Amino acid sequence: MTLRRGIFLSGVATLCAWTLVPIWLIALGAVGGRAAVDSWPKSFWPGSASFATLGSFLAIDGVWTATLTSLEVAVLCMIFSILLGAPAGYALARYSFRGATAYRLLILLTRAFPVGILALPLTVSFIRLGLYDTPVGVALIHAALALPFAVLVSASLFQGIPRELEEAAWVFGCSRPRAFLRVVVPLALPGIAATAIFAFVISWNEVFAASVLTVRHRTLTAYLLAVLSESPLHVQFAGGLMLIVPSVVFIFLVRKHLFSMWGIANR
Amino acid sequence: MNRRDFCIRSATAAAGALLGQTALSPAARAADLVWLSTQLRPIEEASKVRQVILKGAPVQPVYVVDEPAPFTVRLEAELKTNHHTTSLIGALHGELQPLAPIGGLAPLDDLAARLKDRGIPDKLMALGRFGTAHQLYIPWMQATYFMAANRKALPYLPAGADINALTYDQLGHWAANIAAKTGRRMLGFPAGPKGLMHRFFEGFLYPSYTGGVVTPFRSPEAAAMWEKFAAMWKSVNPNSTNYNFMQEPLLTGDVWIGFDHVARLLDALTHMPDQFVTFPAPAGPKGRAYMPVIAGLAIPTGAPDPKGAAALIEYLTQPATQITTAREVGFFPVVNAKLPADLSPGLKLAVSAINATQSAHDALPSLLPLGLGAKGGEFDKVFLDTFQLIVLRGGKPAAVLDRQAAVLRKLMVEAAAPCWAPDAPSTGACPVL
Repeated sequence: MTLRRGIFLSGVATLCAWTLVPIWLIALGAVGGRAAVDSWPKSFWPGSASFATLGSFLAIDGVWTATLTSLEVAVLCMIFSILLGAPAGYALARYSFRGATAYRLLILLTRAFPVGILALPLTVSFIRLGLYDTPVGVALIHAALALPFAVLVSASLFQGIPRELEEAAWVFGCSRPRAFLRVVVPLALPGIAATAIFAFVISWNEVFAASVLTVRHRTLTAYLLAVLSESPLHVQFAGGLMLIVPSVVFIFLVRKHLFSMWGIANR
Repeated sequence: MNRRDFCIRSATAAAGALLGQTALSPAARAADLVWLSTQLRPIEEASKVRQVILKGAPVQPVYVVDEPAPFTVRLEAELKTNHHTTSLIGALHGELQPLAPIGGLAPLDDLAARLKDRGIPDKLMALGRFGTAHQLYIPWMQATYFMAANRKALPYLPAGADINALTYDQLGHWAANIAAKTGRRMLGFPAGPKGLMHRFFEGFLYPSYTGGVVTPFRSPEAAAMWEKFAAMWKSVNPNSTNYNFMQEPLLTGDVWIGFDHVARLLDALTHMPDQFVTFPAPAGPKGRAYMPVIAGLAIPTGAPDPKGAAALIEYLTQPATQITTAREVGFFPVVNAKLPADLSPGLKLAVSAINATQSAHDALPSLLPLGLGAKGGEFDKVFLDTFQLIVLRGGKPAAVLDRQAAVLRKLMVEAAAPCWAPDAPSTGACPVL
């Protein structure tokens, strides 16, 4: 029993170290400044912590506007991909129609073409449609990238919800949409939330479409982070930390819903 | 209204509000002049442009940076749809070039005449005409590549070698000496995924050994050169294939001797000026080849504010602005401007290496690839592939060169690009002999 417990604890410790040590090293590089990054051997404790590099990030012209644009685009992308993806997923899960399998494959095709090849025709048509340099335009492209995931994940979500529950609701007088909204959606909500988060992350990280389709309304990634790799190392560390912290906090806040997505919920 | 209707209505209302709000914002700032640049992209450099270099400009532009790929796509798309957002563009010679044949660059002949007194060398101005009758860009800044070495490496310099007049053989001996005596391979090249190693082959190694780049691609001299370079690679730090910016391994002490673009060495030089010496790239049998880098300013056809853009070009090419640019971001003046004596020690190191490169008695300027248009990337890949096959995988130079020469020949014919210096001029596509 103690041996098993020991193995269990060391497994937990290894997994924690696996994720925490790199984050810690990035944080060290970010607050240690140039000296800490260039020195060898590396110390595991910050000699002198300075938040100057981190602070200088927040002082860059336009960084807040870009963050706002990024949020706007990501939220719009989230809304688009759920509004389009969840019904499509429901249809795939509940109705058998001709070509359902082909349709599943077809959905994946949107990811088959690299955005780089489509960039010129896309930009031309976005200009013609008046979507060029608008957050909505970028969100549309990002939604197209996130849709395959949204459709396929929500299809398997709806498949996991017993049809009998829905049928029982119909028996008790619910219309089909009402049964969907009051019985199926509450059960699927954690999974839909996870899909939404994924759409958010795809949009947050996407660079190429975001930089081709915008000039003044850049997302944070296109405005700043695309060029991060060309900066000195300590600036890269600071930028990396700035990117990691929000997502770690976010994941920490929604962890309960993420667990239920994988079916380990303590419902 | 039942509950379902209510849900649908409120959802559409919310979406409408979001769409309406976002669709309004672009018009609000439409009056600003947009300056799109592929240069000075890194965060600190872009901030310096916005806060220091543009201080005192007649027009305050919105400075937007773009990677080369989206840059070309955007300008082509704007040209096709005749919907223009950008008034001023700043990019490398090679990045502006694909825009010239499709009519993307407005002629700047009047402006060029007004800027006569700036003293931009004729050779540079000629580059900005791309072989046409019109001035299509105005030279903006220049740079080149050179070498930097940690002072710790100097004791191992081979006897009789002058660091400012090094040959490739001496560089090889130097690195081999260090490897033999310290057991560490301390010479480094930027051969990482984002490194500029291809420029080393195109602008330095090839012309130094063969006196050309395209025509003598598979000549016996080229085969001998690859043989030697492969031998030298035995003293090169194997991490070189990960290095993108040599300033990083130089600062950490991973390598002692490195070759790179001035902008990619400057951070090391400015932070430890006492630690480093700078010197020109080595010479081969045909001379000390080097590749000057030229960035230009252009106005796209149909720009919303060509007057403002022209005023900005005039401002950016003033000697005072050019000196500020050199001071802040390490790109050097194209105009007749004397750099002040109080430059920072790091910049002084860079200036001295650039001067030594240009004024070397055996200097052999080797232009950036010309006339390749969109094929520039494939051209670079020919050299990188050859390097991989011969140096990293140990292929026989003659066989590899024969194969790669076929690729290069096809590419030159498809691009119909005539030879550029130092290759001998050609009529029609540059031949690969």
